[in-house]
Formats: sequence, C-alpha cells, structure tokens
Amino acid sequence: MSAPGVSHRDDGSVPSDLDLVRRIKAGDEQALEQMIERYHARVYSLSYGVLRNAEDAEESTQDAFLTLYRKIGTFDESKKFFSWFYRVALNQAYSRARRRRAGGKVSIREHLPRFGEDGHLAVPDWPDATVAIEDEVAARELAARAEGFIGELPRAYRDVIWMADVEEMPAAEIAEVLGISIPAFKSRLHRARLHVRQRLAEISSPTRRSLVAS
Amino acid sequence: MTRRAKGHGPCHSEEITCKRLVMEALYDFEEGTMPEAERAEFERHLALCPPCVGFLDSYRATGRTLRALKPREVPNALARTVFEFVKARCGKKP
Repeated sequence: MSAPGVSHRDDGSVPSDLDLVRRIKAGDEQALEQMIERYHARVYSLSYGVLRNAEDAEESTQDAFLTLYRKIGTFDESKKFFSWFYRVALNQAYSRARRRRAGGKVSIREHLPRFGEDGHLAVPDWPDATVAIEDEVAARELAARAEGFIGELPRAYRDVIWMADVEEMPAAEIAEVLGISIPAFKSRLHRARLHVRQRLAEISSPTRRSLVAS
Repeated sequence: MTRRAKGHGPCHSEEITCKRLVMEALYDFEEGTMPEAERAEFERHLALCPPCVGFLDSYRATGRTLRALKPREVPNALARTVFEFVKARCGKKP
C-alpha cells in the first residue's frame, strides 16, 4: 500500500463516501482507514446476519474491505458507494457461508399464518407476546430464536428482513443494494416477518410449551 | 377465538377477511402507506375481530424482537484489525 497521495480537507468537514473513494483510488491510506471506521460495524452486522457466527463475521468483514480495496478501481462513481459495497460485503458473506454450510433450508410457504376456509384466523396462536417481550430474559431468548428463524429463510427473504428490521435500513436503500423493486421488497419483507412471527408463535403456543414440558 | 357462525361477525364482510388483512394488507397498514379509506375499513374490522388484534400485537412484538438484535457487539478494535489485514495483503495502491 502506498503512502497517502491525496491531501485531506483541513476545514473540519466530514468527507463524503465519494471523496474517500477517490482518495483510496489514489492510494491514500488514511482515507481507507476512515472508510473502514465508517462502515466496519455495519458490514460486520450485515455479515453476521448471513453467517450468525462472530468469528466468521469478523473474517468476512476483513475480506469485504480487502475486496473493496482491490476492486475500488472498478467502482462506477456515478453510482452510490454503499450499494456497491454492501453487495460486495453480502457476496463475501454468502461465499463464506457456502463453504461452511448450505443455507435456506426452509421454504417460505412452510411457516405462514393459517386460516380457515372462510378466511378466519382461528385460535390466537401467540397469546402472551407482550409478556414475553417485557420480560428481559424471555425477550433475549426470543431474540436468539428469532435470529435462528431468520437464518433458516431463503436468501432473498433473509437479506431483506435483516437489513430492514435488524439493521433498520430504509426501504429504498435495501431495494437498491439488492437490485429489486420496492413492491418486491415489501412483499419479501412481509413474508419474512410472517415467517418469523409464525415460528415464534410455534414455540410460544401453550400446546407447544406443554409438549416440551411433558 | 371460536369461529363465528357463517354470516355473522366482521370476517364475513365480502371485502375484509382476516386472511386478506394479514396476508395482503398488514404491511401497508403498519407502515402507514395504506390509503385512508382502506385503512378505516381495516380498522373497523380490527375493532370487531380479537384474533386479528392478537395477530397484530404479535406481529408488532416480532418487529420489536428483531430490532432488539441490532446493538450487536462489534469486536473490540475490529476497525484496526481490518485495516492491518488489508494493509498486510496490499503492498501497492489499487
């Protein structure tokens, strides 16, 4: 890596992503450091969403930034940097996940709400949702289970729900990163939420609990 | 909730069923992107349909659960580790 070749702003303003990209292209180490500082936590969390393992997520984050550095010359400056880089990071994570295990074993249709023939919901399947959420220990356990249920979703749904509901990224950004339309984003997110809700309901229902207890 | 006799209760409206609310309309209802007239219709349904209210509560609880995953602990000094990793593998500018 060469020594810094681009001078820094000295007006105290925060450089834009594009500023940093140009400086990294020119071999500015400090710009790379700033870019890492800016995005490492989000990339780590995104990677964790795919890999669900801290060590793998850390290594995947390193690989993502290495790829960023090596491929930055191919980045089209007319596009948004984060979209390009999040795709790089996601691809790194999925590539690592493929080497480790197969993902998305459950069909999105397997765990959705059930209705009667007339379109009714029958018996409430998750009667104590609020209690569980308000109890800190139960909430932590529920969150861990939810994380697992996200992990069993097919990739198309998993990425959307992780970015939207865990990372809380705006819809337009997610659609852009994943290269899908807003209606497709909404549909996938809703289906994914229904899946996770249904799976949580299955482990929260009194019938299930009594079966586990017996 | 016990299923209501056919022809009674909110779910027997031709337009609104629990299924339609849950499967087709809930996203826009929750995100506030549903047209006002339609929203009022669904709110009327909710006012008379405890199972849907329960479903809505659990859907929202799921959202809260997922958001609670966010403050993931990022390993200490990860930024420094990443920087050193990239530096060690790239001797020259990209």
